[in-house]
Formats: sequence, structure tokens, C-alpha cells
Amino acid sequence: MSVRRATYLVAGLALAFLVLAPLTSIDAAQQAGLPLLTDKLWFRIATTVAMFVVMASAWNIIGGLTGYASFGNVAFFGLGAYTAGVVVTNLNLPFALALVLAPLVAAAFAVIVGIPLLRLRGHYFAVATLGVGVAVGEVVNNIEPLGAATGLFLPIIRSDLLFFYLMLGAALLAVLTTWVILRTRFGYGLLAIRENEEAAAVIGVNTTFYKVAAFCIAAALTGIAGAIFAQWNSFINQDNAFAISDNVQMILMAVIGGTGTVLGPVAGAISLELIIQTLAGGGSGSVFSQIGLGVLLAVCVIFIPRGVIDFFGGRSRLSLRYFRQTLRETSV
Amino acid sequence: MSLLAIRDVSKRFGGVNALAGVTFEVEQGDILGIIGPNGAGKTTLLNCISGLYRPDAGDIRWETTSIRGLAPYRIARLGIGRTFQIVRPFPSMTVRENTAMGALFGRPGARLQPGAALNEADMVLDVVGLGEKRHYPVLRLTVPDRKRLEVARALAMRPRLLLLDEVMAGLNQVEIEQALEMVRRVRDSGVTIVLIEHVMKVIVGVCRRALVLNFGRTLVEGPPAEVLKDRRVIEAYLGQRYARDQEK
Repeated sequence: MSVRRATYLVAGLALAFLVLAPLTSIDAAQQAGLPLLTDKLWFRIATTVAMFVVMASAWNIIGGLTGYASFGNVAFFGLGAYTAGVVVTNLNLPFALALVLAPLVAAAFAVIVGIPLLRLRGHYFAVATLGVGVAVGEVVNNIEPLGAATGLFLPIIRSDLLFFYLMLGAALLAVLTTWVILRTRFGYGLLAIRENEEAAAVIGVNTTFYKVAAFCIAAALTGIAGAIFAQWNSFINQDNAFAISDNVQMILMAVIGGTGTVLGPVAGAISLELIIQTLAGGGSGSVFSQIGLGVLLAVCVIFIPRGVIDFFGGRSRLSLRYFRQTLRETSV
Repeated sequence: MSLLAIRDVSKRFGGVNALAGVTFEVEQGDILGIIGPNGAGKTTLLNCISGLYRPDAGDIRWETTSIRGLAPYRIARLGIGRTFQIVRPFPSMTVRENTAMGALFGRPGARLQPGAALNEADMVLDVVGLGEKRHYPVLRLTVPDRKRLEVARALAMRPRLLLLDEVMAGLNQVEIEQALEMVRRVRDSGVTIVLIEHVMKVIVGVCRRALVLNFGRTLVEGPPAEVLKDRRVIEAYLGQRYARDQEK
């Protein structure tokens, strides 16, 4: 019952999104002066939200289901973006091809770094992946054919609608992938690894393969988001394609929304991105928005450790009693 | 041909010889008890057999093939299940789900789907006496029940050999009787068992043979009643003076 209600809620939201978003491009809606819909910014925000749904859901597969907190997923985003850049700009091939190649490149890279790094656990893994995220950005920043420090310009495609739907499609793919994983043998294997890796190994879970596969899937999804971003933004460089702050953000979204669940990262991405936009007042990176985010994260981790998704579908109710209970759980 | 043969297995940790050339064999249908003082190398031995550690020297043979250095999951799928002395359940899952994981991954041959694995779990939980608690979250289980769950998860793999690492430690007399009953039921279903135990009542009660480890070496091997009377064993546990006084 609870799961069904949550599913309806999100399906309803997604549908509303689908129906409302195109309206913004319709002249009539703009002439009628409907709030939000006349605003071009709204499109940008909606597309950004969808992009972070992809990244947070993908992070959730390796960080939430498998229990390996990767701080290097942004490398997959950047590699996807630069794959698109190379395909479209350097090779003059259609963008559609980039959408196919980007996830493959990102996944291949995940195998290469995953095999050595996924032997590490806990904060060692986090720090090592953070290093990879920074390093790949620096390397790309120094390769001349990739535009080096200047960045890479892609031919502009003017269609807010196209990119909104592409991102939305990628977001649905990410959510669907998580949903499917959680219903298969593979998903149970990942959960077993998260819960106790040695116990998983001695009951027959091929832990190395499972971890690398989860990392690959996360990388592929993140790579797709990167490719769409590159074409959408039509300009990529180290700062926007390999932003560590993006990596932090996707983790925050998954954590605030609820890790290990299908819809948690979605809820987290939507709520956090809207909060960020509100705090930043349309701009980004103001000091106050950073402070606000920091405080928000601390409060969320302490008081709603299972994420805001816990309040959907009647599992828990937002109350003082809930906070008292979770405070006991989180303060050992 | 024996089911499992340990030949001259050694394992070092820095300057410590945890295992210094252990040799023994386990026949199909046997129950072998391994005893020994703390730090004798008992758990290290199980870790070597189940693949968590790679032995530095020696060989471990499963029927006709060497399994030394194989990944733990491959050893598990050959039909070797184990429990952990310090229980390692999957904490966010229910008792039933925990058990189903063994059936889902540990079976040699055909792969089960999650639904079939859950049904299998129900059968195994009845054997270990957790049937009525199958829907409990693991964190609600008492210590004896968590030990039973370890056994259930391993049994769900339908192993041919079961390695039990102190499943009775910390249990009271009544609980030990129940656990003994459980071990006998498992043996009667045709599973070969190697168990590590400090509770001598268990060793004498179910084991056909006992093996005493001390400082990583085999000290004595034989029928449990004889092994426990052996002077070297008493020395290892209680010191030379006690052993001397006993003989006077």
C-alpha cells in the first residue's frame, strides 16, 4: 500500500512535469501570463533537475545499493561530456552517436579504475575516487585537441524542449534501471555487499564482478547526462564538466532523498535543486547559499537519516517524535 | 578419497605463524571437531578453507581438485558453506531474506530466482528452528537466534560441507541442547560438518573425531573422549603444572 502510494505520487508528478513543461513554449501560455510557465529560466531549472536526477540515481547504484561512496562519479559526467564534444566538434558526427558512445566510454573507464579502487573500503575508497575525479579533469584540461584550458565549443542546437525531454528520458532510464536492479538477483548481490561484504563472498556472491558492474552502470548513466549537458550547454571545460561540487551535490541529493531506494534520489534531486535555486536567487554559488546548504545537510543527516522519501507512502510521519527517534539512531 | 584434505597448510601474519603446517582429512559424512586454546589458529584455518585467506604454503584439496587460492564465491559454489564466530548477518534484511541470500547465490548449478529462494529459506528456517521468526528484522533477534541464522544462511546454500565457527559459544545449557539437536539434524540430512568449539560437551556429544590445534600445529587427533584426556591437550589448556598435578 505504502509503496503503491509513493509510486502514484511520483508518477503523477512526472506526468504533470511532462504535460506542463511543453506549455512553456506555447505562445498562448505566455500571453496568458501564467506564473513560471512564461519563464525561460523555468525550463533551465527543470532540465537541471532532471540532470541531477540522473546523477543522483546513478550515484545511488554504487553509493546507496552497493555501499561504496564514490566521490569520482563526476569523472564519468565529464568523460561523457567530452565524448560528445569530440564526436560533434572534432569528428563532425551527429549528436545521436555521442549519446551512444558517451555511456560506453564512461563505463569502460569505470572498469579500468574500478578494478583497483573497488578493493578499497570506506573513506579510503572515497578519497581515492575523489583523486580520480580531480585527476581526469586536470588531464583533459591539458590536452590540446580537447580545447585544453579554453574548453570545447559545440555547435549550438536551439531547442529547450529537446534537451528537456532528453534529460527527462535519461532520468526515467536511471530510475527504471534502479527499479529493475532492486528486483533481480544482481540487486540482492549488491545489497549483500553493502550489508557485509565478507558474508556476501562466502555465500557465493562474486563481489569483485558485482561491484565493478554496479560502478559501470552508474558510470554509463552519468556519462549520458554528461553528453546531453555538453550539447545543451554547447560549451564545456574543466570547471563545468568536472566540477567536484557537482559530485558533492549528487551525493547530497541521494542522501537527503534516501539512499538505497528507487525514488529517494529523485525526491532529493528535485527538492535540493529547487532549494539551491531559491537560495541562490537564480544565480549560483553565493556564500549564503553555500552556508544554507551546509546547515541543511547537517540537519538532514542527523534528523532524517533515511531521507525525505521516508515520509512518502505512509511509512513515517513528520513529527517531533520521529525526530527524537532518529536522533537516537544517529547518535550512537 | 576424502571430501576435504588439508595438507601442510601454513599462514603467517607478519611475525606470527597463525598456521604452521596443519594436515588432516575430512571424510564424507564425518563430523570433525576442532578445538584449541585462543589464538591456536582455528578461525584462520576456516578462513583458509573458505578462501578469505590464501595459505602461504601447503594445499587444500576438495575431492580431487586443489581449491587453494580460489575466490571465496567459487569455493562457496563448490558446496562449502560456513558461519562466522562473530555473526555477520545482513542487518537491514529480515530473517527470511538473510536466509534466502544463501539459496540465491550459493547453489552450484541452476540459478534460483528471488521468489524461489525465499521459499527455500522457509524450509531451512524450520530446520534451524527460526520458522516463526522469519519476518523479524535481524536486529530483533537474540544472540542464540542470530547464531541459528548464520547456520540457516549457510544451509540454504545446500552445502556438502558445513564449517561452523563456534556456533554454541555464549549459549546457556538449554540453548546448547537445542543447538546440538540442530547439528544432528543437519548431519542426518547428509551434510559433512567441521566445527570449531570451546564447549567440550558439544565435541563429545556430536563429533566422531576431534583435532586439537595449538600454536598453529596439530597437537592431537583422535576420538573426542581420548583426545580430551591426552596430557598434551591438558597442558595446552591449563599449563604444565596442572597436567603434572593431575597425574599424581
